[in-house]
Amino acid sequence: MDKAEKFFKAMEGKISSRINKKGRFYFNVKNEDLREIVDYLFKTMGCRLSTATGMEMYHSLEILYHFSDDDTGTYFCPRVIIKDKEHPKVKSIVPIVKGAEWIERELFDFWGIEFEDHPRMERLMALHHPQNLKEPMRFRRDS
Amino acid sequence: MIANSIPIGPFHPLLEEAEYFELKVDGETVVDIDMEIGWMHRGHEFISEMKTFTQSIYLVERICGICSTSHPIACVHAIEDIDNIEIPLRARYIRTLVGELERIHSHLLWLGLAGHFIGYDTLWMWVWKYREPVLQMFEIISGNRNHYGMMRVGGVAKDVDPASIPDLAKIFDMLGKKMAMLAGAVKDDPVLRSRLKGVGVLSYDDAVAYCATGPTSRASGVRGDVRKDESTDAYGLVEFDEIVLLNGDVYDKLVLRVLEVIESIKICRQCLEKLKEIKGPILNDVKEISPGEGIGRYEAPRGEVFHYIRSDGSNRPIRHKVRAPSFVNIPTYTASCKGIPVADALITLASVDPCYCCTERSLKVVNKENDPCLIDLLKISREKTERIRREINGSK
Repeated sequence: MDKAEKFFKAMEGKISSRINKKGRFYFNVKNEDLREIVDYLFKTMGCRLSTATGMEMYHSLEILYHFSDDDTGTYFCPRVIIKDKEHPKVKSIVPIVKGAEWIERELFDFWGIEFEDHPRMERLMALHHPQNLKEPMRFRRDS
Repeated sequence: MIANSIPIGPFHPLLEEAEYFELKVDGETVVDIDMEIGWMHRGHEFISEMKTFTQSIYLVERICGICSTSHPIACVHAIEDIDNIEIPLRARYIRTLVGELERIHSHLLWLGLAGHFIGYDTLWMWVWKYREPVLQMFEIISGNRNHYGMMRVGGVAKDVDPASIPDLAKIFDMLGKKMAMLAGAVKDDPVLRSRLKGVGVLSYDDAVAYCATGPTSRASGVRGDVRKDESTDAYGLVEFDEIVLLNGDVYDKLVLRVLEVIESIKICRQCLEKLKEIKGPILNDVKEISPGEGIGRYEAPRGEVFHYIRSDGSNRPIRHKVRAPSFVNIPTYTASCKGIPVADALITLASVDPCYCCTERSLKVVNKENDPCLIDLLKISREKTERIRREINGSK
């Protein structure tokens, strides 16, 4: 059984809408299961967090994490969908992956997503913006 | 007790790019560092989502002047990943050749700057002298010394003229000899060794925790090179070694880059040999991109460049995410700068080869009474090298 199969077996019931492509796995996870999945990917499997992509959809916001298994060149991409666009909140993964600190701050800056238990939940790019921005930089600004 | 803070940046006439660092110092020792970015947010992701796929490739080429072909390669990989588009064999070798030439010129640029920062101006001028033929090779291949415009979805835009291959091979022969000499000089120089050994150490655990990439993590013993991991383009068809060193200090980062230049020359020579033999098209015709998402990455000189593209089936991306290697490498300063003397701060900050130049040339020290005075980090760094040089040479 290869690493990917082991992972999906261990996380059975916590993963939905799985898309398999050549060397890429995209799947949906719930906010409450995110840390367990990230813990398994980062600590058990030794994956590296490349980055996380934020997106605004019609009725939700989504975060797509990109974990790279450098031994096999495979990407595991857990997707968290946030329905509450007025007060988007997700659990921070910084307690598990220290390198996610700037990545989450950037998501907060761009999309206004608040990360619970983040050690420094403030803007990254526009911390001292001359216009003292009140709104996220991209949220509801795409059209 | 924290007595002073030293702000570095963000703007100064000497700075090519704007970054801001605040070193917290206790006497001569750095006890903490704070970083701030976002002084030049240019909105490339947002602009790209208003462009066609082909226009996006031109756009991302302008994200960085040094790794100007790494972004387009990662971008075309992401678009090709959506539909699993294959590219012609000749195009694979051309992409690899251009990518490796960029690594050579970028590493040589960094080596020169590192030499300048520690007071080795001979190294600086020597290395930059040999960077020039690399830029000339770009001119021969693409017509440009920078921003080559070579990448396209489905292949490359320009072919390598077969008549130019002997000239390119001659330049690689010359570079190979000079780089072997440089590697020997760097390893044998007692002053360089004393100046950089044990300076700004990034441990293996910290490199993993901060998800560092490229030479920054490989100098700390962390294996990981996109060229080996994914073997895209011609990387699965050529022989080369992934350089991994163990100490994580500035010296290892310097040696690693020199060794990587030698490996890159090896790859380029193999590509040229293959380009003599392989004939055929350089570009597959790609009519449209299906709805879907794709990940593209490339081992840029500084580490992994990451692009994510989502398509809705139209002629433009609906989401284009770009992550440059410096974004994950710069936070490692928190680990590597703690406990080092102020004289070593400049070269430690420079050791990850962040996307800014000359940042450390001007700074302002604010003491307890908030009385600002100007000091020069570059001067302090070069003075330390001179002190070591005198000690080793036995003169005062």
